[in-house]
Amino acid sequence: MLNFLKMLLTPEFFFSIIRISAPILFATLAAIVVEKAGFCNIGLEGLMMFSALTGSLVSYYAHSWVWGLLAALAIGVLMSLMMGFFAFQLKTDITLVGIAINMMGSGGTLFLCKVITNLTEGTSMASSTGLINSNLLIPNINIPLIDKIPFLGSIISGHNLLTWVAFLCCALTSVMLYKTSLGLNIRAVGENPNAASSVGVSVLKIKYIAIGFSGLMCGFGGAFMSMYYAAGWSLDMVAGRGFIALAAQAMGGGECLGGMLSSLVFGFAQALGIKFSAVGLDSNLASPIPYAVTIIGLVIFSLVRRSRAKKLHSAAALK
Amino acid sequence: MTKKRQILFSVIRGLLAILIALLVATLLIFLSADGGSFGAKLSATGDALKQLLVGPLFRMGRSGAAFDFKRLTDILASMIPIIFTGLSVCVMFSANQFNLGAEGGIMLGAFTTGMVAVYVPMAAFLHPVVGVLVGGLAVAAIMLLPALLKTKLDVSEMVCSLMLNYIIMYLIKYLMNTYLADKTKGQIQSYEFLETSKIAPLIDNGSKLSWGFVVAIACVVLIGLFMFNTRWGYTIRMIGINQAFAKYSGMKVATVIVLSQVLGGFLAGIGGGIEMLGRYPTFSWSSLPGYGWTGITIAILAGNNPWFVPFASFFMAYLTKGCELMATYANVPSQLIDIIQGVIFLFFAAEQFLSKYRQKLVVKTAQEELATKAALEAQKGGAEHA
Repeated sequence: MLNFLKMLLTPEFFFSIIRISAPILFATLAAIVVEKAGFCNIGLEGLMMFSALTGSLVSYYAHSWVWGLLAALAIGVLMSLMMGFFAFQLKTDITLVGIAINMMGSGGTLFLCKVITNLTEGTSMASSTGLINSNLLIPNINIPLIDKIPFLGSIISGHNLLTWVAFLCCALTSVMLYKTSLGLNIRAVGENPNAASSVGVSVLKIKYIAIGFSGLMCGFGGAFMSMYYAAGWSLDMVAGRGFIALAAQAMGGGECLGGMLSSLVFGFAQALGIKFSAVGLDSNLASPIPYAVTIIGLVIFSLVRRSRAKKLHSAAALK
Repeated sequence: MTKKRQILFSVIRGLLAILIALLVATLLIFLSADGGSFGAKLSATGDALKQLLVGPLFRMGRSGAAFDFKRLTDILASMIPIIFTGLSVCVMFSANQFNLGAEGGIMLGAFTTGMVAVYVPMAAFLHPVVGVLVGGLAVAAIMLLPALLKTKLDVSEMVCSLMLNYIIMYLIKYLMNTYLADKTKGQIQSYEFLETSKIAPLIDNGSKLSWGFVVAIACVVLIGLFMFNTRWGYTIRMIGINQAFAKYSGMKVATVIVLSQVLGGFLAGIGGGIEMLGRYPTFSWSSLPGYGWTGITIAILAGNNPWFVPFASFFMAYLTKGCELMATYANVPSQLIDIIQGVIFLFFAAEQFLSKYRQKLVVKTAQEELATKAALEAQKGGAEHA
């Protein structure tokens, strides 16, 4: 046990928590912004799958990770706007649109991968892992000075470009939501669309912006998965991170800081699972840990919210 | 709008949604078709489409297409699990519970039933019945978790059930790998099901069409009656339509929300069990089978009406078979089905799709009604004058 703890308290472990949290954080930000605009996008998983595939393929064909990343972002935004078209214009239930996107993101991306690359490893499996070499991966960034700090330096420095972007986006999203007129409009549309519309805010436009933003974040998340984390695209590689993000959004109380902390909790659960399997626990027993933590986290969050509401209620009653 | 026009409108709308999906499919097939020139690609696309649309029932030969009874039974056999997941989703979605646990549910049901079939010897007729029921009850019990969390703590049943899918899958894989696998075999699979547990085939032509199909249709009838002819079914539907109204008119909303998810879980579970005992000699699933997602598409196609589930299942089974044939004979990856499914899904669920046309129909009906009224009035007036 002590040995295991010793194994955990290494800079590498904390480094891996941050690394693993990044894609969840991207998706959580996506969930936060659409939730502020008053709806729930459960298609994050599918959007990330499409972006992941696009990113890895474009970077392969264009011989540059920059183009791959841009293409992943573009496809994320395009697909999310398409979702918006179905949900807002054709009035499909947004949950169902999300399910449809997830469906296409699972088997459909495999279809596209097979068709585009002509790869058929076996009959059902195909992946773009073989196409990606280290030059096509998004680079890591070492920060001079900070990496000299003992312990902390090796946790913070040397992260991937997109890991930095994730935490930067977290701060920027918070600023966007609370310090800009766009953020005010998004929150207004979410709180009361009729009131927002009565003061001249175009509700439809704001909703499109919100869902487009979620697509952009999923683009980053997908690119992170296929162009850094797993170094290539493979079937169902996002593995529920889009869904975990929905839970992280709820647990974080719909705020950026809270969402970031919950993403880190999930990152911790996953890193712990990886460590467990490193010391000989069956990986099939370690893999469900983050999913179980998600359910437990939601329950705790809900209990806390409930007791807080009760306290407020009784405080109000005493007045 | 008159009832006749309403039905006409839904039919046209549905057909158009399917047509759009097929057009998208055609485009994708064309892009993936073999052949250097445009003409060669076009003819390859034509061949592939023939496999997709006609292939599931007719064998293509030199002398033209011939009806193939075996293929029909294949389709009917593959309808069995998706009828159950379709019904399961229908019940849960009717109560507006977006529980997506049918996917994990069918795997857990299949696993539990499989274990009963391997380890618990029983009399021949009793064995499959008990096995399948145990599978169903296991999933029903698991579905209590998202249901109770939803009603007691307002935790999203959707996120919870999605997480459960993954947890169920990994735990089953763990149990199989470590304790239950037949180590003499190359792949991970359980020991053989006992002979007494197997569900007998309905038609013995190698199609795996078992008596499970009859059970599936029986379940359609039962659930159809339950949803439309019982108090509980009415409450489920009323909660889906207007939860606040249901609550204020004294319905037990929380109980019924739990009931709908438990019943949905039970249906998915027995679906998995029947599929396992009717089709396979051992339990060897190593990942989620995807029937749960197909079940959602079926529920959408059927408009959450259990009576339409068999037809929607037939349609999906037909398309899936067509995609498999395309993969075999025309080299188009079979995962095309997921894209077709997604597109149909999007347009079917789109309320405003063709809304202008509906508007026209409504206006037309109203004008006709006014015209007949005016004509009647005129007649009346004429009669009075005379």
